[in-house]
Amino acid sequence: MIAPADIVLTPLLPFLILLVAASAALLIDVVQHRAQTGGPLALVGLTFAAVSYLVQFGGARTEPTAVFGLHWVVDVPAVALGLIVLFGAILSVLGGWTRVRRDDLDRPEYHPLLLLATAGGLVMVHAGDFVILLLGLEILSLSVYALAAWRPDRRPSQEAGMKYFLLGAFASAILVYGIALTYGATGTFDYGGVAQALLAGAGPLALAGGALIVVGLGFKVAFAPFHQWAPDVYTGAPTPVTTFMSVVVKAAAFGALLRIVATAWSGALPELEVALAVLVGATLLVGNFGALLQSGVKRLLAYSAVAHAGYLGLAVVAAAHGAFATEALIWYLAAYAAMNAGAFVVTMHVMGDDPDRGDRIEAFEGLGARRPGVAAAMTLFLLSLGGIPPLAGFVGKFLAIQAAVRVDHVALAVVAVLGAVVGLVAYLRPVFAIWFRDGRSSVPALAGPVRAAVVLAAVATVVLGLAPDLAYRWIEGSGPLALVPWTP
Amino acid sequence: MTLAALLIPLVGGVLAWATPGRARGAVAVLAAVAAFVAALFLPTAAPVDVAWLPAFGAGLRLDPSGASSVLVLAAALAMIPTVLTAAVRVRERTGTFLGLLLIMQAMLAGLFLASDLLAFYVFWEAALIPSLVLLGVFGGERRRGAVTKYLIYAVSGSFLMLVSIIAVRVLSGAESFAFHELAPAARELDAVTQGWLFAGFAAAFVVKLPLFPLHSWLIDFHRENHPSGAADVAGTLYKVGGFGFFAWAIPLLPDGALVLQPYLLTAAAVTALWGALAATRQEDLKSLLAYASLSHMGLIGVGLFSLTEIGLAGAMLLLAAQMLSTGGMFLLSGMMHARRGSFALDRFGGLARSAPALAAVSLFVIFAAIGVPGLSNFPGEFLALLGAAQASVFLAAVALASVIAAGVYGVNLYQRLYQGRQVEGTHDLRAVEVAILAPIVAGVLWFGLAPANAADRIDDGARVAVHGPDRPVPAEGGAASEPPLATAGGER
Repeated sequence: MIAPADIVLTPLLPFLILLVAASAALLIDVVQHRAQTGGPLALVGLTFAAVSYLVQFGGARTEPTAVFGLHWVVDVPAVALGLIVLFGAILSVLGGWTRVRRDDLDRPEYHPLLLLATAGGLVMVHAGDFVILLLGLEILSLSVYALAAWRPDRRPSQEAGMKYFLLGAFASAILVYGIALTYGATGTFDYGGVAQALLAGAGPLALAGGALIVVGLGFKVAFAPFHQWAPDVYTGAPTPVTTFMSVVVKAAAFGALLRIVATAWSGALPELEVALAVLVGATLLVGNFGALLQSGVKRLLAYSAVAHAGYLGLAVVAAAHGAFATEALIWYLAAYAAMNAGAFVVTMHVMGDDPDRGDRIEAFEGLGARRPGVAAAMTLFLLSLGGIPPLAGFVGKFLAIQAAVRVDHVALAVVAVLGAVVGLVAYLRPVFAIWFRDGRSSVPALAGPVRAAVVLAAVATVVLGLAPDLAYRWIEGSGPLALVPWTP
Repeated sequence: MTLAALLIPLVGGVLAWATPGRARGAVAVLAAVAAFVAALFLPTAAPVDVAWLPAFGAGLRLDPSGASSVLVLAAALAMIPTVLTAAVRVRERTGTFLGLLLIMQAMLAGLFLASDLLAFYVFWEAALIPSLVLLGVFGGERRRGAVTKYLIYAVSGSFLMLVSIIAVRVLSGAESFAFHELAPAARELDAVTQGWLFAGFAAAFVVKLPLFPLHSWLIDFHRENHPSGAADVAGTLYKVGGFGFFAWAIPLLPDGALVLQPYLLTAAAVTALWGALAATRQEDLKSLLAYASLSHMGLIGVGLFSLTEIGLAGAMLLLAAQMLSTGGMFLLSGMMHARRGSFALDRFGGLARSAPALAAVSLFVIFAAIGVPGLSNFPGEFLALLGAAQASVFLAAVALASVIAAGVYGVNLYQRLYQGRQVEGTHDLRAVEVAILAPIVAGVLWFGLAPANAADRIDDGARVAVHGPDRPVPAEGGAASEPPLATAGGER
């Protein structure tokens, strides 16, 4: 039961700010048609949400607390993941600034939907029970379905939206089924309650429910073999939306998965951890080899997003047992948000106005001579994605592999590094094109907000790599996720 | 001063990159000389310890004692003529080339000095990028294939090493990645675990040593690099696999080394002989030098995998010495290319008549490279083979045969370049070429005539590698039977 004392709205402030901003943007744009206030307003909303996080939880270490009778969890991982979600959304808005206008994407609903999706992401990372999780997931997904199909004049975009919607709805249904079975087995939706019931004894019903949850969320985070929508949707969707999906959706989904594996199951369903490990191994191979075979950079990055789901999966597999796995996952998502959003932003501007063929690797030829700054930033992002020290991506890989080794998943770690070799070769193909070949591609100078996004991402990529402790100190010791005391 | 050995080339590299016009050459040479001076002071410098990721006990820890200081010094000396060559010979994007060379030197200095395993790995990988770019931007026509091959070989090895690096700390339960904490804990692990972990390290080090059969990237690498030879020297300095075994893999995992010793020792002996034999058959100057260098690496390998103090010390001495001799050979090859526009050996001949000074210096460096006593490579080769003979007389004999083959390719090379019928005359050494070769000649003489200074410093490291960090002085009777290095030096 929710006691009146549990109803505290201040921890919800980031979420509420986003809702207000989304509503305001929607109303203003409807009243003043084409006033193009959506972008600035979205930026203001996201920034305020981030500030409200920092003001509430930035100073002293946050003790795990919960409001609404545990349904909205506030602890260090939730706050850190929430900030990562906001960071990714800010990068997407800034990076898409000019592209959104040129491609005629900024109809009044574009930025409000982006804000709503972000708000859904926050709900997912704060969710303390399966119902809240599902609510957040649907707020997020419905917005993104619409955004993926945002260019009705282009078949790939329509196809992406339709594919994402059909498969996504299917995955949500499976997830709901899994949640229902879990409820049947344990009699509660609450993660803490589920954990107590499972530790007392986990039957086949709980196992079946867990398996369906793995499949449902595996679709969202793009674990192989549930990844097959990802390359098509990422390629077909407008690139600013792809940037958003690859960073924000991924962070939110992994945040939710982490909490389910670490808190709700907390080691009570070892069979599912084996299944997860198999999925992760397959994801690592499929993603990296897939990236190697692509001729377009956008598609390469799409497969790369699958591969990175694999590295993140290493931490998830370890999360129920090992210390440091939660930190590894959070850290990796932060690094990934910076380097991946950066790579997509540069790509969307190199592609120019030709979304069908512009992302071929040839489009990057000669970029090093023409736009050395942009080229250097792109090189940083790609090297970091490939895990070259001392960039952020390397620290992320180090932490993820360490998390896996700690729980004796050495074989999985070896698969991860072999995949990383393949991945690195894939990432270096655009790098070679940028620096080692001459080309005629002309890329206009980046507009201010876009440049800000690239610089922000590049600085984060370098600083997180050179001085990882600045951020790590803050999340250190936040895992393994404790069972928050639960009183019915 | 320790940090200076790393920061001077790094800052110098960035400055050289940013400086416009011809001044960049002067900046770069100045930085290289300053880095060399800093390296001279390393033996008395204080260690560095800067936290990086304290939660996992990783930090920028640099320890300038022992073999590290010798290798940094030799690399810094070899880098002076290399930077000079690049400043004179590279016409396009000179600033980039100079910057990359110096940044690479900084990363190598970090790699040699690191006393933290994770810092070592970071420098190991970071040095790869400049060498890849040097090849990719400034290489020959078929550089794409060479770059890809080099990349795949190097990265496959080093990523596997990363798993071992993480696992060795997790499994041993050491507090940090610092050598002094990691080594005692790791040496307690059981032999099977050590064997697997050692295999992970070996994957990276064997590729970078390189040893047969994982050497094929090396030949393409040298054949396609910039014809000035400057990038080849950087590549030669980057053959640090031997150092990795010496400083990390063997001292951390001695039982693992024992498990793999037979295979590695065999591979090293085969590499030594096969490289030297292949070198006798080459028609292309750079390919010949690449195979000759491979043969040296085999000798370094037999010294290392003898797992004796004397062999390990010899291997490191040879590694430092060949930086100068092989580096000098590649710089000379650049001078030959400047005269003929080709590396094909049949384009040369009889040059001693028109360029006697060039011929004399070449003969000197060739002699150093093939291990003539009194010059740089001999002490190291001798000690490495002596160590190998204690491990396996047969394999030592195989490796020894490579020294004979080296005589064949060395003398053959000199004949084909400088003796016989003169196809076409050429000019003798120019002033700048004298300036380029002077540090090489000085270094070759220094290593050849006074190896004791370097050997003493390396000796400490070899003792740690064989006996572990806890026992600086061998206490067992068996270990004492090995002659101390000073005596071995005196016998020559």
